[in-house]
Amino acid sequence: MMNADREIQELLADYAGALRDGCLPMFLKSLTREEAKRISESRDFWEATEIVRLMNSAGFGDKMVTPDVGLFISRVDAGIASRMKKAQASTRNPSRSHVNLQ
Amino acid sequence: MEPFVRATFALFIGHLHRYLGNEVECEDVLEDVYADIWENPDHLRDVEDERHLLKTVYLYYMRKRLREVYRRLNRRASLSQEDLQNLMAPDLGLCDLVSQEELKQLLHKMLGKLKARERKAIELWMEGMSNRAIANQLGTTVGAVKMLEFRTILKLREMLKEQCRASGGEE
Repeated sequence: MMNADREIQELLADYAGALRDGCLPMFLKSLTREEAKRISESRDFWEATEIVRLMNSAGFGDKMVTPDVGLFISRVDAGIASRMKKAQASTRNPSRSHVNLQ
Repeated sequence: MEPFVRATFALFIGHLHRYLGNEVECEDVLEDVYADIWENPDHLRDVEDERHLLKTVYLYYMRKRLREVYRRLNRRASLSQEDLQNLMAPDLGLCDLVSQEELKQLLHKMLGKLKARERKAIELWMEGMSNRAIANQLGTTVGAVKMLEFRTILKLREMLKEQCRASGGEE
């Protein structure tokens, strides 16, 4: 990912590697203006990304470390409780009712 | 909510992995997705089967959250907002709703139709090898491997289109 001006095949290879290694933000940050333009104009790149996602899923989806579902559910519950609290607070205080709950 | 989470967790997190490739981010996104579903479950009212459920959840709940994950990067990224969205949370493609098992079978079938060198490059990549290691295995340069992968991926895409046409699917 260190090349200053990557061709489209190098950009795809780097995108694929970043997706596989779970570091897409690094790939996005590495793009120069020229490279972003190249991606934007390349139909081949966009078509290829779909296959890369499928390859990533077929090759590594099963190897993903699945977390403890029980623990995850408690996180979801906490998130929901927090949203309920915000919703109640906004109905109690009409002057704040315009606040976007999202 | 708990029975729904238990019943759908593996399906949803596996699907998210296609777009994020990172377990921690998958969990964070999914946490918000479930809270969104709890807040507004209307879209799921008429869901008929697992594939329909996944499609509905992706289009109405996951996509929005996937886009948010990377929106904050946009100030530093050179990609336009639209390209960033298409890269991170694209429209559903040809096989995006295919199960893990079906996908593996399909890829296996398509890989079998490739030339030996093309197949080897893709298989090694799917084993987790770096492009440098693949280049060493194939006795070539990293640049040549990237070009080989690119061409082979486009070839696979054409095969997939053909497959979909033959089975009367999308496109």
